[in-house]
Amino acid sequence: MMNSAKLSSLARNSLQYAALRNVMRSNVITQTRNCYVNVSPEDPKMDWESITDRAATHMFFREVARGFAITLAHMFKEPATLNYPFEKGPLSPRFRGEHALRRYPSGEERCIACKLCEAICPAQAITIEAEEREDGARRTTRYDIDMTKCIYCGFCQEACPVDAIVEGPNFEFSTETHEELLYNKEKLLSNGDKWEPEIAVNIQDDYLYR
Amino acid sequence: MSIIKYFGLDKIGLFFRIIKQHGGIRASLYKLYRMDELMDGTLVGTDNFGNKYFENKNNMFGRDRWVEYSPHVGMDYDGSQVSVEWYGWLHHKTDIPPPEAKKLGYSWLADPNQPNPTGTTDAYIPYSTTRPKVEPWIPKSKSQ
Repeated sequence: MMNSAKLSSLARNSLQYAALRNVMRSNVITQTRNCYVNVSPEDPKMDWESITDRAATHMFFREVARGFAITLAHMFKEPATLNYPFEKGPLSPRFRGEHALRRYPSGEERCIACKLCEAICPAQAITIEAEEREDGARRTTRYDIDMTKCIYCGFCQEACPVDAIVEGPNFEFSTETHEELLYNKEKLLSNGDKWEPEIAVNIQDDYLYR
Repeated sequence: MSIIKYFGLDKIGLFFRIIKQHGGIRASLYKLYRMDELMDGTLVGTDNFGNKYFENKNNMFGRDRWVEYSPHVGMDYDGSQVSVEWYGWLHHKTDIPPPEAKKLGYSWLADPNQPNPTGTTDAYIPYSTTRPKVEPWIPKSKSQ
């Protein structure tokens, strides 16, 4: 108790503190590290043979010549890229592209205006208005999709109970103006009429997983 | 492997075969200008638009099927000119070429060759498919 008080009073003086630390450290066992491995590149050898070898490599542009050789070799290799629009990449049957409204084989439109797609659409890109048709069937009078709002998540086709709205395989529908992408019902139905062979095949391919 | 093939000398024969296949030096140069590549392949079929579809199984996946756009479009070829019937085959969704595939045959099916109409007079313009909800007021004139 008395000793520790004496030590702390000693430590107040910085010079004395350094001396005290040396005294204390001498009793501590420290680990010594003497198995270092040099991982950095070795220094270049400076004997005459190595020096002339290095000089010859530089004089004959070895790296440049090898670079040209690799370029030449790649000119004769098959390219890794596709020559679009002549060659096209593989597509999945589940690919979610341009929307389409489908019809039954009789030609009757499938959509019954249940508005499930409108409700589930996270981007709120779908607008539907429904009315009774002359024959008493419930059909849409307005089915608009803002293709610039759409995020192509595919929830609409998953929500649809009658497979009416689908995302077809087409992705080449870019337009010059914004308004051309504000699709209405007739545009979507005509998309369906055009793409029905492909859409039917896609649904057939995927029926086990739906 | 023969010694000719080992040194790649069979490529010289292939080169002359491709030139012949494309119809001479002049036609080959035009095709090279138009399609950037001269491909060696077998004709699988033609659609109503005049596009020719080729296949060469020796090429890597993705480059083994290609379309040569109809000559009448010249340099104005576009990816959307591919027929719907050939779309799945070209995109490797199916291995059955469309001439052998089953047709749907519905009467209401549209023309499968409709290129993207944007920028032309046929371009789609949005319009409302419903009756207007607000009827404009037409005031009665005093003469009545």
